[in-house]
Amino acid sequence: MLTIFHRLAAAVIKEIRLILRDKEALIILFIMPMVFVLILSLALRDSFHERAGVRFALLIVNQDRGPVGDKLVEIFSQSANFRTEVVTANGPVPSAAALDADLRAGRYKFAFRIPPKTSERALRRVQQQLGLQPTGKVPEASVALTLLSDPTVRGDQRALVQAALNRALQGVESGMLLQQFAAIGKRLAPFAANVPGVPALRAPKTLDAFAEVKDPDETGKPYKEQTPTSVQQNAPAWTMLAMFFLVIPLSVTLIKERQVGSLTRLQSMGAPAWVLLAGKILPYFVINQVQLVLILIEGMYVLPLFGGDVLTIGDAPVAIALVSVAASLAAIGFGLLIASFSRTPEQATTFGATSVLVLAAVGGIMVPKLVMPPAMQRLGDLSPMSWGLEGFLDIFVRGGGVAEVLPECSQLLVFAAVCLIIAVWQFARRMANVS
Amino acid sequence: MTASPIVEIRQLSKTYPGAGRPAVDGVDLAIAHGRIFGLLGPNGAGKTTLLSMLCGLLPPSSGSLRIRGQDVRHQDAAIKRRLGLAPQDLALYPYLTARENLAYFGGMLGLHGAALRRRLDYCLDTAGLNDVADRRVETFSGGLKRRLNLVIALLHEPELLILDEPTVGIDPQSRRFIHENLKRLNAEGMSIIYTSHYMEEVEQLCDEVAIIDHGRIIAQGSVDELLAAPREATIELRTSVPPPPAAQAALRALAHVHTAEFDGKFVVLTSAAPQTVAPAAMRLLHENGVETTSLSFGAMHLEQVFLALTGTRLRN
Ligand SMILES: Nc1ncnc2c1ncn2[C@@H]1O[C@H](COP(=O)(O)OP(=O)(O)OP(=O)(O)O)[C@@H](O)[C@H]1O
Ligand SMILES: [Mg+2]
Repeated sequence: MLTIFHRLAAAVIKEIRLILRDKEALIILFIMPMVFVLILSLALRDSFHERAGVRFALLIVNQDRGPVGDKLVEIFSQSANFRTEVVTANGPVPSAAALDADLRAGRYKFAFRIPPKTSERALRRVQQQLGLQPTGKVPEASVALTLLSDPTVRGDQRALVQAALNRALQGVESGMLLQQFAAIGKRLAPFAANVPGVPALRAPKTLDAFAEVKDPDETGKPYKEQTPTSVQQNAPAWTMLAMFFLVIPLSVTLIKERQVGSLTRLQSMGAPAWVLLAGKILPYFVINQVQLVLILIEGMYVLPLFGGDVLTIGDAPVAIALVSVAASLAAIGFGLLIASFSRTPEQATTFGATSVLVLAAVGGIMVPKLVMPPAMQRLGDLSPMSWGLEGFLDIFVRGGGVAEVLPECSQLLVFAAVCLIIAVWQFARRMANVS
Repeated sequence: MTASPIVEIRQLSKTYPGAGRPAVDGVDLAIAHGRIFGLLGPNGAGKTTLLSMLCGLLPPSSGSLRIRGQDVRHQDAAIKRRLGLAPQDLALYPYLTARENLAYFGGMLGLHGAALRRRLDYCLDTAGLNDVADRRVETFSGGLKRRLNLVIALLHEPELLILDEPTVGIDPQSRRFIHENLKRLNAEGMSIIYTSHYMEEVEQLCDEVAIIDHGRIIAQGSVDELLAAPREATIELRTSVPPPPAAQAALRALAHVHTAEFDGKFVVLTSAAPQTVAPAAMRLLHENGVETTSLSFGAMHLEQVFLALTGTRLRN
């Protein structure tokens, strides 16, 4: 028993030494996927946000010291569609130029300023409209609010935000009108008491709209349509590609060992075939797990430093491990399959790289399946890389656990088993051909 | 034969699939325990094929192979552990150091801990690789690689060491170093099978020799026996210019000449009466306008036995 452990340990140590000394393999297996995760998570951050529902960064410069300003800030702060920051008259107010620069830099998508004395002016205007102000005075002009926006913002988005702002303003105005009516009602109360059917008028505490358009409830959405953030998509996607890219070093070392005769030498020493096989599978399995851990760490701790979203990975570590193990076995099985059908390292590299890239492209690794037309999505369902990715998305995005990832894991394990059986059969056929 | 045979080969044949003729053809061999056994043969003679079958790497087409009385075809791991094979092609990892190569193969043999370290030190000592133990093999010279390739076969202390051309491409110093070590190992009780196409080294090193050509054993015995066997002598002449066809025909027709082979300015004649043939051949060449620049015959070298037996034609 113990010697089995030592044999496998020797195989793992040797294979990891070889990988660590093979700069090309290191770049393909570790550097490339981590760079891709970083770049693409950052580059696609906003387009994923838009799919998930818009959430704009908004700056409100509130110079009003009255109820109108407070009410607007409240409305936008509570909206799910805005990430609102407020600058009040109490603090330093940014200059027009500074505001412009912030918008251009993309720090805020939108900004507007509530000028000083807005509340007073609004009140005067409402009262004038109701004829409560002495007549003959110059009518109060409407308050000018300008909506500033990041130059890259699309026109339709700007129109939406403008509509939201207008609706908020109308709400504030309705509230003020009701208050005025209530005040009049209060004064009329002694008289109204004598008129049957006239209640005492009072201003409502909150102004409830009779109907409100709500966002669809995310949890009620069809399970598979919940949208990931860009890092939730990219981290597991490139992990899958990285895992499958070990097909290249795995098949190349295997073929070189066959060519150079170290496999023969091991056989002549009486090393059983299964130890040789396990001695290949185990080290690459370890490498796969290191790849996943590195990319998860990158997404959780490094990406936020560059302004990306934090990678949230759900709370089912066992399910993550399960998907990772199944995906790794599938990748290793595929690598052995390629090695068994290639004669030279060059063949294995070409065939391995091409097939892995095709499986990745089809499987929604490079371009998310969300944006693919239905026919392409169905084609993508055939790629093992897509199974692994969906498994991770089940956990990261949809709150899935072990039960939810079992279908994907079974697919991956069946794929691994089929590859392994064909590879072993092909290796055996080759051996028989030599003899 | 006093010692009990460690290897017994009977009527062993191997035909590769699709090959026109067998690579090993009805070989019978008995190799005594505790000897250094030389297997000589030109390129393509079937040496590697024979050794591969001996190590259980290649199934024979027919015949039997026994090591210490046990049939090799049973693929018993216990038999394999008695053999140490240093393959003809360097089976090394160039990106690993010498020590790491040894540690890997040692580990795959199930060695670990202090036992592994002891064997590593022993092997590095034996190969004289202590100074370069931690250098990557890719930086090694041909001689260093050969030595490492050889000592990996010693890791598990085999009873029978099988060396397939262990000295190709190395300088005389390295070769002597290897030979001294092999003699020491043999003195400590290890049986050794040594294949080569270099005659002198087999002559110096081996107790017993078999000469193989076209898959058949064409001579076998102790070095002394092979040299002493009554056989036609070889007469080698070197000429100033390649002999013209007319001279070649005349030499073949010369009395007592058995065979005559020509290779540029080299002439090799075989004859049972070299003392008569040698001066006659020189005179005949002179008459054809060809001067003899050197002549040798008599005191047989194993090389001449080898050439006499296998011919001088180039092999593929
Ligand atoms: N795998 C193979 N498939 C088919 N034929 C082979 C194979 N290996 C060797 N042969 C042929 O078998 C014959 C014996 O080859 P082998 O390698 O045993 O000779 P050798 O004595 O080791 O030669 P060398 O001194 O060149 O190493 C040669 O004709 C060779 O071409
Ligand atoms: Mg050979």
